[in-house]
Amino acid sequence: MKPVLMGLVAACFPAALWAQDITATEAVVPLAPPGVMTHAAYLTLHNTGQGSRTLIGVQAAGYAMAHLHSSEDKNGVATMSVLHGLEIDAGQTVTFEQGGMHIMLMHPAAPLSEGAEVALTLQFANGETVEVTAPVKRLGYGS
Amino acid sequence: MKQLVAFLLWMIAAAPVTAQVQGVKLDEPVELPAFAFENGIGETFNAGTLQDQWTIVMFGFLSCPDVCPFTMGNLEATIAEMGLRVRPDNVPKVVFLSVDPDRDAELIGTYAKFFHPDFQSFTGDRTDIDALIEATDSFYRLMAPDEDGYYEVQHSSSVSVIAPDGTLRAKLQPPFDPGLTAEFLTQLQIQYRREAS
Repeated sequence: MKPVLMGLVAACFPAALWAQDITATEAVVPLAPPGVMTHAAYLTLHNTGQGSRTLIGVQAAGYAMAHLHSSEDKNGVATMSVLHGLEIDAGQTVTFEQGGMHIMLMHPAAPLSEGAEVALTLQFANGETVEVTAPVKRLGYGS
Repeated sequence: MKQLVAFLLWMIAAAPVTAQVQGVKLDEPVELPAFAFENGIGETFNAGTLQDQWTIVMFGFLSCPDVCPFTMGNLEATIAEMGLRVRPDNVPKVVFLSVDPDRDAELIGTYAKFFHPDFQSFTGDRTDIDALIEATDSFYRLMAPDEDGYYEVQHSSSVSVIAPDGTLRAKLQPPFDPGLTAEFLTQLQIQYRREAS
């Protein structure tokens, strides 16, 4: 019975991360202004494993390119830099959020509306990939 | 107990340091030069349109994936907060000015509307852009394109606040907490009216 149950659970969650040490949560693609060719995705990554992992790249279905980026305020000037490798230590959580690290999505094949989903593939230095589905949502702001 | 007291003392000591500064009022108002922008959907932005209302101007570019939408979203929330604090005619008008006309001229008009139907976005001649950048002590720089042809545009993260007499009065700064930014703007307006009377 038990193996059957496990198989059933595995079938329900094909992306279950038993084999992987990285879990991704809170993935979101904020709805972009109309016609804009460059926007962003955000998520939180947690390394549940014993060893560190290095995130080295990302692919986004439906986009010509996706890059790992970080926004920084340098003496009052908004700048961006490419993240060439983001090390996530064992037990560490890293957050991609507005005004900080983000996945830059470039040249969408078609405009996405609210409720659509973007399939992201995170690439790690050890050859592992982690699949993440990021829903498109209109973000709310406020105090 | 001792630990609690120590913690409370630390809280009191640390509070002024951690309090966020959302804006800086200029010591003297700054006159702005002549400029004229259009946006392809019938709106115009020039020295005349600054008169008799508060205006917030953000410099940016449309291919800006993170900072510009984040700032515009926060400004939308700030405007909502202002609506609770001041008379409707004192709620600032928000203008997004693209410093990247080559890429953005075609789409510019609809960009700001995405964040709020009353927001406006413009771009135009480099001469006019540069004049406004210089007068507001702002900055931008087009970076070299990467292998994919994408180029980043670095720009001032602060946002200019222009009074109903058309002069620059203050700068808003990140992180643009909507409640605190609205409070700063409300105080700025009170001081402005006091100085004018």
